Amino acid sequence: MKNTLFSVMACFLLACSYGYSQNRTITGTVTDEDGSALPGVSIAIRNTNQGTITEADGSYRLEADPNATLVFSFIGFLNQEIKIGNQSVINVSLKNDINQLQEVLVTALGIKREARAVGYSVAQVDGSELVRKSEVDPLKSLQGKVAGVDIRTSQGTPGAATKISIRGNTSFFGSNEPLIIVDGIPYNNRQVTTSSQTSGGGAYSNGLSSLDPNDIASMNILKGAAAAALYGSRASNGAIIITTKSGSSSPGRKGMEVTYSGSFATETIANLPDYQNTYGPGSSFTYANANGSWGPSFASRDSIPVWPDYLSAFPGSFPASGNIAYEAVPNNVKDLFRTGKVWDNSVNVTGGNEKSSVSATMSFLKHSGYVPNSSFDRGSIGLGGNTKLDNGLTIGGNFSYSHTNQAGSTFGENQVEGASSSFARNLFLGRNWNIAGLPFEDANGYPVSTSNAQYDNPLWAWKHNVVTTKNDRATGNINLSYDITSWLNASYRIGINNYSLFRREVVDLGSRGSGGLGTIKEQNFNNKEIESIFLLNFNPAPIGKFDVKAFLGHNVNSRDWRDQLTTGNQIVAPGIYTLTNTKTQVADASDYFQRRLWGIFGEVSVGYDDLAYLTLTGRNDWSSTLPKSNRSYFYPSASLAVNVTKMLNIPEQNFYGKLKASWSKVGRDADPYYLQNTYVINTPFLGESSASINPSAANPNLKPEFTTDQEIGAEMWILKRRIGLDLALYKRISKNQIAPITLPRSTGFDETYENFGVISNKGVEVDLKAIPVQTDDFEWNVHFIYTKNKSIIEELQDGVTLIELAGVLTDIRPVAIRDPEKGIVNQPYGALYGTRSARDEEGNLLINPTTGELIPALEPGVVGNPNPDYKMGFSTGISYKGFSLNALLDYTHGGDMYSVTVTSMLGRGVTKDTEDRETSWVIPGYYGDANTGTPLLVDGQKVPNTTAISTNGLYFGETFAINSATEWNVFDATLWTLREVSLGYEIPKKFLTKTPFGSANLSVSGRNLWYLAPNMPKHTNFNPESASYGSTNISGIELSAAPTTRRFGVNLRVSF
Amino acid sequence: MKNPIIYIVFILSVLSGCTKDFLDVNTDPNSPTDISVHQLLPSAERGLAAVLGYTNDARGARGISTVLSVYMHQIVVRETPDQYGATGSEFNINGSWKGMYSPQISQGSPDYVGCLQNTEILIQKSEAAGNLRYAGIGKIIKAYALSLMVDIYGDIPFTEANKFAEEGIKYPKFDKGEDIYPALLAMLDEAIADLNNTSAANTLVPSSNDLFYAGSTAKWEKAANTIKLKLYNQIRLTTDVSSEVQALLSSGKLMATTTDGLMFNYGTSISPEDRNPAYSDYPAGQKSNYISPWFYSTLKGYNAIFSGIEDPRIPFYFYQQLEPTEASQNTAEFRDGGFLSIYFGSVGRNRDWSQDQSMTLVGVYPAGGKYDDGGAEKIGATSGTGAAPLRLLTYADRLYIEAELINAGLANGDVEAVFNNAVAESFKLVDYVSSKAATTAPKLVGTAPATSYQEAIEMAFGEATPTKQLEMIMTQKWISSFGFSVDQYTDYRRTGYPILFDPNDPTMAPGGFVQPPINGNFETPGAQPLVPVQRSRDYPLSLPWPTDELLVNPSAPAQKTPSTYNVFWDN
Repeated sequence: MKNTLFSVMACFLLACSYGYSQNRTITGTVTDEDGSALPGVSIAIRNTNQGTITEADGSYRLEADPNATLVFSFIGFLNQEIKIGNQSVINVSLKNDINQLQEVLVTALGIKREARAVGYSVAQVDGSELVRKSEVDPLKSLQGKVAGVDIRTSQGTPGAATKISIRGNTSFFGSNEPLIIVDGIPYNNRQVTTSSQTSGGGAYSNGLSSLDPNDIASMNILKGAAAAALYGSRASNGAIIITTKSGSSSPGRKGMEVTYSGSFATETIANLPDYQNTYGPGSSFTYANANGSWGPSFASRDSIPVWPDYLSAFPGSFPASGNIAYEAVPNNVKDLFRTGKVWDNSVNVTGGNEKSSVSATMSFLKHSGYVPNSSFDRGSIGLGGNTKLDNGLTIGGNFSYSHTNQAGSTFGENQVEGASSSFARNLFLGRNWNIAGLPFEDANGYPVSTSNAQYDNPLWAWKHNVVTTKNDRATGNINLSYDITSWLNASYRIGINNYSLFRREVVDLGSRGSGGLGTIKEQNFNNKEIESIFLLNFNPAPIGKFDVKAFLGHNVNSRDWRDQLTTGNQIVAPGIYTLTNTKTQVADASDYFQRRLWGIFGEVSVGYDDLAYLTLTGRNDWSSTLPKSNRSYFYPSASLAVNVTKMLNIPEQNFYGKLKASWSKVGRDADPYYLQNTYVINTPFLGESSASINPSAANPNLKPEFTTDQEIGAEMWILKRRIGLDLALYKRISKNQIAPITLPRSTGFDETYENFGVISNKGVEVDLKAIPVQTDDFEWNVHFIYTKNKSIIEELQDGVTLIELAGVLTDIRPVAIRDPEKGIVNQPYGALYGTRSARDEEGNLLINPTTGELIPALEPGVVGNPNPDYKMGFSTGISYKGFSLNALLDYTHGGDMYSVTVTSMLGRGVTKDTEDRETSWVIPGYYGDANTGTPLLVDGQKVPNTTAISTNGLYFGETFAINSATEWNVFDATLWTLREVSLGYEIPKKFLTKTPFGSANLSVSGRNLWYLAPNMPKHTNFNPESASYGSTNISGIELSAAPTTRRFGVNLRVSF
Repeated sequence: MKNPIIYIVFILSVLSGCTKDFLDVNTDPNSPTDISVHQLLPSAERGLAAVLGYTNDARGARGISTVLSVYMHQIVVRETPDQYGATGSEFNINGSWKGMYSPQISQGSPDYVGCLQNTEILIQKSEAAGNLRYAGIGKIIKAYALSLMVDIYGDIPFTEANKFAEEGIKYPKFDKGEDIYPALLAMLDEAIADLNNTSAANTLVPSSNDLFYAGSTAKWEKAANTIKLKLYNQIRLTTDVSSEVQALLSSGKLMATTTDGLMFNYGTSISPEDRNPAYSDYPAGQKSNYISPWFYSTLKGYNAIFSGIEDPRIPFYFYQQLEPTEASQNTAEFRDGGFLSIYFGSVGRNRDWSQDQSMTLVGVYPAGGKYDDGGAEKIGATSGTGAAPLRLLTYADRLYIEAELINAGLANGDVEAVFNNAVAESFKLVDYVSSKAATTAPKLVGTAPATSYQEAIEMAFGEATPTKQLEMIMTQKWISSFGFSVDQYTDYRRTGYPILFDPNDPTMAPGGFVQPPINGNFETPGAQPLVPVQRSRDYPLSLPWPTDELLVNPSAPAQKTPSTYNVFWDN
């Protein structure tokens, strides 16, 4: 097989040449209107590829032909052109461009465009916003800051994945995450899942966790397909363009600057439930060594027998009577946890001269979680630079390497056969279980708890059932750029992103998982992506009132990944966690995948008199994963921006308005190897090798799938830019998805890949910024965002009413469902499907006359929608002299969550919600027939329920918590969060003159300081942000997840 | 540089040159697109066993006996099969249906386990290549598997099932059970002809990869004939089958020894896993299969069925983790010395306690578990071996069928002699299984308790009326087939025997309460507390169709009411 890298590179050969002419030396200084020096101003000699950049004191020097014209340009200022003539000293004062403040947008392929020319939504987040708030995850830092972006956290342990989606879900089974581009090269953000997160997997991280937020210079979020159309296939969910510091150094800054930032934060579990401490384990006020605290009150009984498993492990540690006091241990949950710590240190060095620059970043993060033995460490180095050669060719490149090391334990639904979750009982311990006050392992190192068969002692599990993941990511790219003429630039970039993961999962000897015999899994995963982009950038001078910009490009992308997973069963020698120390080994996976794509693309943008800009793009891809006859596909986009200010002829200081509209189509190919039926080789059975047909049927006739996206919006600024509003409305339709349609199993297959189905996403985004008070010393700013998105299943394959999006548990699973016959339409993507209780036609509950409990409905149904109705973020900042105070509050309205934790807290009777229990209850409803799920009629009349049940019965049985229909385990996840508060002080420069420091900033910050989930059972204090499935498509399901965290930190940033 | 067009042309020509073959990388290097029948047969057979026995999700087994053994009152669980509550979304019902028709991935290993689709490919490939022994075995597996599906569900996809790959049928229609049976009988005849076809090429023939009979054509033919006998017997109430059964009984080609039985072998290996899925309560922390007090009481001779006759197979059938005077983890609901369990339909307060280290478990005969030598050990992952075969259709079953046919007047013969043979064969089967399961269990046949039990049963049978004899035949067959409950369920619906526990029967549970054995629990001297029991659903005459099939198959019928929907042979 040909080496991919070489075959990609072989596609290119760049030549270049140079020329020169007779010149004179020009010097001068560039200042702003106030006379302050402006460093970094670009000075170009018109119609040539030559020029320079001003130094720190605003001075410059260059050689130019006396007939030439110099063009001075700098972001935020109006361009100024000066003909040299006989001058040799040219001092220039640039005027502020009120329109252009921060208004150069990075669009697809890193191409910068003036904001006024862009007809679609792009959001920018500055790197500094990501680092000061005691948050180590770059995605979590975006929470509540960008309209249209939905960030969901998962487990509360270090390094756990964060899910990001922009404007909803476009694919049934494919990734619904945006394409992430770092320094021009796609960055694989995949969560590698080793064991099912339903039954004992770890809190796996997503790929982006290997990126150090300290090294991020900026993030640009291309929300709509129009913005991202040029990236093709993978950008139908939008794109995030990240530029690192080492990847963004630009020539012109002379000298060197060193910046150090360091922070330290403490981390605790965000909140614990309000536990009742009146009743202990048992049921119906009778003591038993049970999970549920439904037994007798602590006041009514003096002692209980020592738990047999503790007694047999530590016979000498308990009274000879075999009994111990029967008393509540109010802090038994709290005492399981500790205070976590985050240490983050980073040093960045930048330097350069007129023609070259270099930037290096080194950083190290050490994060230990509130769960003992959970941690996430990350070390990274990056180096980038570029230089402009005398022949006019600019060469740049950057390389980075990062290593992460994550450790933690297992999660999931402990009830699944063979599973062991380290959170199996943690938040609903029997109220007298003194887990933290008693030893957790016996002489053999085996776990001991109140019931070894039911759950692993969590302290033992955290120490022994350990999931460790080591990631190594190396990225590198080289870029070349050459101005062929003043209006034509050619550039080429090739880069590699290589990601390797090694993971080991241990279920240790003695755990209830693996029958106590121990299992070790080892996974090696490697993903390599090579991207090559050649661009010809046309930038001609305006022709009359028309300003035309265009480019033409060629892109080659190659991805391959290898996945090897081996399970070793039966650990031989305790304490040694290698595959060689297991009795037998089974290869679970040994797979290699490869896909390639190339495309040509282009964009033409025509502006008329700063009044309107029309941009057209087109791209044609050729993909390896589609059948030869269908592998080529084309998709276009168009966008329009209209400058209302200019149209109405209003001064821009008073009002600036832009209307935008766009339409686009993005094509998407399949995953590899969907075109041919295959067999699976099974592990030997009784020594016989065997193979089975793969029940996922192939389809040799797949076509590309397409998403079309329409967006209209408006941006406006009033009151000298003190108030700004950005509105967007969009509608996105994804059709002909390449997705497996679920087949009836009687076909002999489980699914077959087809082009089918329609998902729509419609939404509104509002971004409002205001500066209510602004004086020389004082500023108060506010920022509000609002996001509403509805992902609706519009069509499924004819005849199919439901497809299961992911297997979770029989009683709860995310589905796409559409069944007009039963009136089930307009269901959201990922609707939760589960068991329900029987009701009569009017919706009254039916009651089993024998038990007084509910009757299971004969058929399952939709029991929840995990997608929030809308989200809001409200942030505000006050700055006074060197002080600044910032706060961010975010709000999620609606969205349902299936919660094992909440259900268990209720069903196990441990919180104050169920403390009032010496009464009985009658469930409102009518008596029903359990055979048919219909009301029982006496003389043709329904009979109201009068059968009383206990509080215990209300939460344990065919009622409302444990053992009930799924619908009662689903809760509204509305949530208020005080996400960030920070107070900073920028030490005035005058205090630093006698120190080596150029600047110094000290801040204290808090994260997730407060939350309120008003629709969760009150005393559970449950934060619905915790979830079990990381960055996968499964949301709204929590299976005893680790709760969220709260952090306090101090941050220091100094530069030399 | 003066003429950029030259560069553009040059670059574009380089670009277009690099695309040849560049995209031709979409052939899966990981999985074969064709496979030999040698590898398909073990998959098909393993798939068959996985859907008929007990569930162990971690090894791809989702077995319908997990539900039906509760419905046949040999096992009690706290999950939905209790009180006949399994709906169309029940895990085992969905899982066993899926695994029957198509392979499904097993949770704990990379394996795909499934029966009929692999069988379908096996038949096609072996017919095309003239490997008719493989084809014959494939057809027997297919006919047998589908007959059980009819028995369980009534109408099922048949003519259009497993036709997606060749004919693109996405939504197979459901055929009527009475139309399917004749086709299956014909398929078995075809299979026998294939097995005996001497002109076939047979370049590939099965050997040790045949996990039932190690490639023995003769044994497969006996199995096919015995399956036919079973099917005729099952439809005897709706069809006159006397000539067919007479012909089969006199053919000399029915199962005639223990090893003729259709039994799927399991092994002792933990990894890769090849133990009987019924063994799964041994490695599990939380154990779910309680022994039915009704089954236990019948074997102990506590109830009217074999009153006063204790069955010496008990230590092979169950394992008691408790000494008779050892405290249980939590208060027991049903205790009889070391035996601990819960009742079907219980709503008692002691039903839901965890008793993982106290409850009585399935033993060596059904699961390859531990022989109960009275040691009262706490069961762990390696207490037994798990190597008990899954007994689908045995020589003993064939004898019980023959006894039933004679009893029904459809066959000639000495019903007493055949019945006694059947019971004796059932005892031999226990020894056969325990030797297969590689346990240290002593031999059963020939021991004094075995002999006296058989004599007592023989005597009772001799004295019984024909109706009582039918009950005894069906009850002994039910006891003998512990571990596989599909035929038990069919027999019960056809004949009404064995008598099963009914919480709503006032003679069995007066006033809705049952009395566990007096003095059974040393912790509560005298009578154990009464246990309230109930049954909110009527006995299901067939199982509900799996929701997962109905939801995606527009050709499927609307869900049935299980308590009234009977299979065609059930009159």
